Amino acid sequence: MATFFKSRSVQLSILGLFFLIVFVPYFINIPQLEWLTTKLMIIAAVTNAFTIAIAVYSQWKRSGRFIREKRRGWAYHIYLLLLMAFMVFNGIVLGQDSTGYQWLLQAVVTPLSSVIYGILAFYMASAGARAFRARSPHAALLLIAGFVVLLYQAPLTGAFFPGFEPAADYLTKTFGMSVSRMFSISVCIGAIVLGVRMLTGKEVAFLGFGEE
Amino acid sequence: MVEPLFTFPGLITGRTIGFLLVILIFVLAIYYMGQAKSPYIRRVPALDAIEDAVGRSTEMGKPVVCSFGCGGFEYWTIAGLSILGYVAKLCAETDTRLIVPTGGSSDSYIVREAAVDLVRNAYTVAGKSENFSEEDMPFLSGEQYAYTPGYVGILVRERPGTTIMTGSHWSEAMNIAEMSNAVGSITITAGCYTSNMAALACASDYVMLGEEQPAAGAYLSRDPSQLASIRVQDIYKFIAIGLMILGLIAINIGSDFIKRLISS
Amino acid sequence: MTKEEGFDLFRWMATYDKRWIYVILFIVVLYPLMRPVGMPITVSELTRDYYDQINSLKEGDIVFDSWNMEFSGYMELKPGVLATHRIFIEKGVKLCIAFGHFEGVAIPDVVFSELRSVMQEYDYRELDDYIILGYILPNEAAVAALAQDFHGVVRQDWKGNPIEGTFLDQITNAGDFAMINDYTTGLATTFEVRHMVLTYGTPMVVNCIGVSIPGALANLDAGLYTGLLASTRGGAELEYLIGAPGPGLKSMDAFTFGHYMLIIFIIIGNIGHYGWARRTRYRDRTGIR
Repeated sequence: MATFFKSRSVQLSILGLFFLIVFVPYFINIPQLEWLTTKLMIIAAVTNAFTIAIAVYSQWKRSGRFIREKRRGWAYHIYLLLLMAFMVFNGIVLGQDSTGYQWLLQAVVTPLSSVIYGILAFYMASAGARAFRARSPHAALLLIAGFVVLLYQAPLTGAFFPGFEPAADYLTKTFGMSVSRMFSISVCIGAIVLGVRMLTGKEVAFLGFGEE
Repeated sequence: MVEPLFTFPGLITGRTIGFLLVILIFVLAIYYMGQAKSPYIRRVPALDAIEDAVGRSTEMGKPVVCSFGCGGFEYWTIAGLSILGYVAKLCAETDTRLIVPTGGSSDSYIVREAAVDLVRNAYTVAGKSENFSEEDMPFLSGEQYAYTPGYVGILVRERPGTTIMTGSHWSEAMNIAEMSNAVGSITITAGCYTSNMAALACASDYVMLGEEQPAAGAYLSRDPSQLASIRVQDIYKFIAIGLMILGLIAINIGSDFIKRLISS
Repeated sequence: MTKEEGFDLFRWMATYDKRWIYVILFIVVLYPLMRPVGMPITVSELTRDYYDQINSLKEGDIVFDSWNMEFSGYMELKPGVLATHRIFIEKGVKLCIAFGHFEGVAIPDVVFSELRSVMQEYDYRELDDYIILGYILPNEAAVAALAQDFHGVVRQDWKGNPIEGTFLDQITNAGDFAMINDYTTGLATTFEVRHMVLTYGTPMVVNCIGVSIPGALANLDAGLYTGLLASTRGGAELEYLIGAPGPGLKSMDAFTFGHYMLIIFIIIGNIGHYGWARRTRYRDRTGIR
């Protein structure tokens, strides 16, 4: 049975079949397929959730190896495993609204992630101050556009110099929006073509283990 | 909602043109993938920067740090892996230490295995399999904001000569690019989201904007399917430009023909 | 620069240590947060349109409240979250709250404790007026499944209380929601657009972080979003509009000072560039001192 499902052609056939089950009802109204599409999506969502369990298991195995072989940083792996066990116990056994889980989340996880996010402001400021130099006419134009948008973003400017709003609006809604649209089109087409490559078996790394 | 120009029996109203465009993508992609002659792609300038930067690291005796992103098997990650394979080949040939931080999302668990195989193969092909070490490809975390300080810590401790960030990086890209700059490393990044592209352009020495990254990946790998996908994307961009121009003309003469056509 | 040349102001302006930026930005942003100045603020058309959308909801309408943010993102979106939920509570709108990130489970306590007085005034209660489903939007498959078959995917709230017998009995799929209200740092929003907005035509309003605004404006222009609240400033404008000052308005002084400080540093860098870097290149090229 395992050998059958490991075969690359079987994997690609299943992939193609499920693709058609989800793809076709989007364009052609086939009520009989709707319940199957929904069930497949629920199965996919549940299966995805199991990757967390696989990740926890993999991390235990990997950290266990690091600790046994006393590789560089092995003490941190003990710390990691203890914290992981504590979080899993609190989350699954006591529930996500339990005091322990909420305390860990609010006192440890959220301040740490907030700091990493907050530091971005400093880095963007220093990158902007370093990079915004009018080295050429193009750079000077970009600098002027940047100044207009920055001044508009500051609320005080809008209150005393309302003339910045139409200029900044124009820059954002023409140049800024056109770039976003261009990206959306490119990424969308790229994603569909990647799907074609996967369906035709040209891109098989995501299938993992398998035999031709 | 604009009234569609036409409907096709059997197809849901408003999705006919979308269906035809998707079918056309399939046909074009399969056609170009089957062609004996690969489509031409020009060399992206950032690739020269990568070669120079790796050479600089070799001369200085410093390692190269190269990451392929935080996402799963998606459009940007495939490109990132191609570039990683190229960088691994360069490092293997020049005996330069390569560090590949992995992680950043729950999908990155799966991609990591492919990346490890890729780098190991590059060293084996160069005849330097003894130089490959999986410890130089640490899995930092499955969470973005835990991955970030791990990556930054690697940069601060190892002080690489070159930092190459390709694939799908999110808000952590700015953190990493600035810190890479602070430790004196040449920073080569690939911006794939409008959210962080402007910031990366400021913080990096070289930046690949948007489509340059998959084009670079396709150019390096010479994989017919990747080259074909770049060609199909270009064709569709021309179709989009054509529709935009026609739409502009139509709107200005007071016709909603193009609008209704696209809404069909 | 040799010792004999001494201190060159232009050189310093072009090459100062960037840690000065960190220190000065920290001080410039901290001071107005501790001692607010009270600068005026104007309300943009974008915020007014968003407010009109939210205000068009009626009592009893059920809104899918999607919190696609980490806690760090919540700090940026907090003014908009609090102001919008105040409007929902005052209007008696029913909320179905779902998270797109596991850190979202820490946010409800923070939000509803800040709005406790308003909730008590309008007798707004969990299970009767709002239900928190928990972290159920981890990926696209989950969003698609939820959109197509709501009760097939969700049977209980995040504390294990069954949702049968609540206002969610009226929901079979995403088309039954009056609106999708999304706070996003870029997580499940695109999936919601694909599987809820495009498939069922449910209107969607979004409160996004600053870096996502250009992309979100394109979606707004395309009709995928019916309203957009832009980051902290949009939240502050909404607070001003509804007459409920909060964390957004408090931070606008710091916002202004930070922007102006950045502009000053850019000007300093450019003066240094023209006064030293170009002069040095000219001198190196021509040998003329």
